Amino acid sequence: MTLTRKSLLISLSFLIASCGSISNERTSDASAVSTSASGAYSDVGVTSSNTLYFAYDKSDVTAEGRVKIRSLAKIIKKEGLSVRIEGHCDERGTREYNLALGENRAKTVAELLVINGVSSSKINTVSYGEEKPVASGSNENSWSQNRRALIKTF
Amino acid sequence: MSAFKCLFLIITILTSHYNFSQLRIEITGGAEDPINIAIVPIEWKLGVPQEEYIHEIIKADLESFGEFKVLPPEGMLSFPSTVEEVFYRDWRMLDIDYLVIGQANQSEIEDELKISYFIFDVAREIVIHRAIMSGYIGSIRRVAHNISDKIYMKIQGISGIFSTRLAYIDKPSIKDKNYHLRISDIDGFNGVSLFSSPQPIMSPNWSPKGDKMAYVSFEQGTSRIFIQTVSTGERKGIKLERGINSSPNWSPKGDKLAAVLSKEGNPDIFIYDLNRQSWKQITEHFGIDTEPDWSPNGKSLLFTSNRSGSPQIYQANIRTQRVKRLTFEGTYNARARYLPDGKSIVFVHRRNGVFHIATQKIKSGKVKILTDTYLDESPTISPNGNVVIYATKRLDKDILAGITLDGKTKFILPSLRGEAREPAWSPIID
Repeated sequence: MTLTRKSLLISLSFLIASCGSISNERTSDASAVSTSASGAYSDVGVTSSNTLYFAYDKSDVTAEGRVKIRSLAKIIKKEGLSVRIEGHCDERGTREYNLALGENRAKTVAELLVINGVSSSKINTVSYGEEKPVASGSNENSWSQNRRALIKTF
Repeated sequence: MSAFKCLFLIITILTSHYNFSQLRIEITGGAEDPINIAIVPIEWKLGVPQEEYIHEIIKADLESFGEFKVLPPEGMLSFPSTVEEVFYRDWRMLDIDYLVIGQANQSEIEDELKISYFIFDVAREIVIHRAIMSGYIGSIRRVAHNISDKIYMKIQGISGIFSTRLAYIDKPSIKDKNYHLRISDIDGFNGVSLFSSPQPIMSPNWSPKGDKMAYVSFEQGTSRIFIQTVSTGERKGIKLERGINSSPNWSPKGDKLAAVLSKEGNPDIFIYDLNRQSWKQITEHFGIDTEPDWSPNGKSLLFTSNRSGSPQIYQANIRTQRVKRLTFEGTYNARARYLPDGKSIVFVHRRNGVFHIATQKIKSGKVKILTDTYLDESPTISPNGNVVIYATKRLDKDILAGITLDGKTKFILPSLRGEAREPAWSPIID
């Protein structure tokens, strides 16, 4: 402590006798450094993308969806393709819980592909939860478009 | 003092400027009986001009959550800057409960100022606190926030939160194709993008010292947990497992992360030891277990599970792994956070199809709904346990809003960029 500060402290102490000791505080400097993702994942190499839709809070595939999966499975087997299945949800409910629901959707689709003869080693699943909506807007029209699974082949 | 007063009034009129900020607190419903306080313009005794007015920053701080009403200088009868210049009757006449005065001086170190200030209790006619706060002249906002914290502490008896920061996520727009993890001071100033990516970012969580953030990034085509040091930008991904890697949450000591992995086929709660770099499984159930949060004593974890058929809040004892259900009202209770006392929780509760932020004393089991907004989620609690900030929707946009836990003050944090979500309140940073 330098002389100036000490003398200021002493003079202040003389000024007020009615309270406790002077606190001496130092403010630290807070800063932050910005970064960005390098070589982020993209859909380069994906040759086809098919979408299936789901009911609210459900991961059951509709009859129409099961027909679609059966015909897709034939092509995948015939051409020896790899598959990436992405599960998505609408915005209702919490983000992490929806991440889990989206995984259920992706896995249900993956199981149906396996039942139709696609090797599980060719299938990769990922859930995006509610993070990648295709339609914005807080209404059933948008929500029904966002509750989906994408079957991407490459 | 009259010349000073005159000069000051001119300056006040000229400086209705507003510095660039991304989020700004806007009170939509305030407390009915705020504490009346007067912050006299700090006498500036430095050779360099004052760029921002300390009393204005303190005024904005103290009024931000509705607990204080700050007398503007235009309403003052005198402008004391020393104890001898204080006449209590001037302030009693104005119904002032507390008075703050001070002087800013150049310190013995270049580029450093020190502010000596006094807090008076007007009714009791005593000084209740006097201190010297020092800091760089260039970070005057931070110095002012620290003084606001001291004032708050001396009057309310609990820590102030004006030096804390808020992290949040914003999503791509027409102008900007990236997701951003942003942080700013709690008043919206000093905003910076900590991390940006064309793929989603979610679940930001501060380390207990406030020096690091854990979050989930999809940059590698799958969810992965990353840790980033705020001051250097250095980041690293933690050990990736098959399936979901998500919901990171720091232990109170900062040596572990609770998180969610689905490598066993369904999402379960795990703990990652940051020193050993290894995972340990805590819950094991075929349903969904997610959204862990550490109790303040580090002995248990809250989590969301649908093991009973609908999402509900559970508590797991980390040592015994015994699990206890905490919520019983309604069919959707999720994403719970402990209050600092560890006795109450704040979480997302659905009633009549609408998602609200609610609180519950753990033992009582009775749910109290806090918010009247729609599609509310991601509650984060101020480190002093007084305020909740959460994500909600307004006109189909993601916005942040807040409410004090006593329910008296409501506010929104409009974002100049348009949208913001997943707020995470920093700890008190020393």
